[in-house]
Amino acid sequence: MNPQTEANKDLWKAIYNTGDLQHCFNCSTCISGCPASFGDPPLLVRNLARKVMYGLEEALFEDDTPWACVSCSRCEEMCPMDVKPFEMILHIRQWQASNDETRVPPSIVEIYKRGYTQAVGTNVETRQALGLDPLPIITNNPEQLAMFREMLMKTPVVAANDYMFGG
Amino acid sequence: MEFCLFLGCNTPAVRPDVEKAIRASMDELGVDLVDADNYVCCPAFGSFPSTDEDSWLATSGWNLSIAEGKKRDILVQCGSCYSSLRMGREHIMHSDEKRQRVNELLEPTGRTVCGSSRVRHVSEVLYKEITPARIAEKVKISLEGLHGVVQYPCHTLYPSEVVGFEDSPREPKGMRQLVEALGATVDGYSRELQCCGGAGGFMKSTPEQAIEFAKTKFDAILEETKADFIAVSCITCLMHMENVQNTLNKRVGEERYKIPVFDYNQLLALCLGKEQKQVSAICNVSRDKVHQFIANAKVAA
Repeated sequence: MNPQTEANKDLWKAIYNTGDLQHCFNCSTCISGCPASFGDPPLLVRNLARKVMYGLEEALFEDDTPWACVSCSRCEEMCPMDVKPFEMILHIRQWQASNDETRVPPSIVEIYKRGYTQAVGTNVETRQALGLDPLPIITNNPEQLAMFREMLMKTPVVAANDYMFGG
Repeated sequence: MEFCLFLGCNTPAVRPDVEKAIRASMDELGVDLVDADNYVCCPAFGSFPSTDEDSWLATSGWNLSIAEGKKRDILVQCGSCYSSLRMGREHIMHSDEKRQRVNELLEPTGRTVCGSSRVRHVSEVLYKEITPARIAEKVKISLEGLHGVVQYPCHTLYPSEVVGFEDSPREPKGMRQLVEALGATVDGYSRELQCCGGAGGFMKSTPEQAIEFAKTKFDAILEETKADFIAVSCITCLMHMENVQNTLNKRVGEERYKIPVFDYNQLLALCLGKEQKQVSAICNVSRDKVHQFIANAKVAA
């Protein structure tokens, strides 16, 4: 593949439409100290920024590394050009997930169903032993949970993938 | 002082003794807490923030509106919850367009969000509001004689513009001073500011490398300090830094990594004389030595 002919020059507008990314001069500060840069394959934030700017759509679409980010936001702090690399990673994930349903994180289905990623409120005996009262969680409040779900139904990811949220 | 307590998912579900420690310590320090009724996931960065802005910010708005309704700031312990709520609030506050959209989505639920409630991390409130000096006055049991190391939650440091409260995010002092207020000696080490590596997809996608990454931190602690314990202030750091030690021990075939890990609120509650079986009941790396030290100090006091 010739990247020059395959490139989508407007890709950055679809993914991260801020002026911030234009300032990246590829210095690698975002990689230095990034936990996931030690992964295999490594998360190389700088390379992701290049793929977005050069419009290498296919390569970016297949790239799993944005999902290895630990969200520590060290890159956001250290970037000398204020590119906001962590925001960029979230935007790449959003772009991938909105164009590929297999990228939609299962955790959002859990949140839709019970309000939380964990089964909050089921450890009744442990909590009692610690002298803790039951929490006023949404899972136990059908009216509020229904309103929360209705709100989410109007958002792009839930509306576009409603089959995931049935029942 | 009063706050709306936002516990997130992991603390109440997996480590409720940390919740008990926060409630017990805050009560003792004169801080009034009410629960965020019908709260939902913060949302975690790997969930709605990774799919689209509407679902992300509407969920942030849902949670923020609860505290606004109570006219209180939000108090958070989990690093991810703290950062997600702060970043969500930042987006909602700094764009009229986004705020309008979130309120449009919230409207049928009878909620609104305007940004009147701030999001505060428990370590910030202890460090900046209650202060280490007052904590030192209040504690009944001293950890003098014990050495500790501290783990700063990345989510309270970076990006400092949005989440920070330290005078310098490159040289944070809060956790050190808070642990010193309990009488312990805090040993510095070369990898003090290295992330635990436990959040997000790193551990899930490449566990081998994530464990190696954590090993460099624990080796530095073992080689450079006399640590009797590690004090953290994030539920992910707590769970991950215990689990990784057990994994590493299996690999090296000996009990080399066995430094007890405490949430700071647990150490604080113990030093305030709270019941160990309630505020420090659950762990995956034995805390017996530190518990015994505190029990002995309690008898002496």
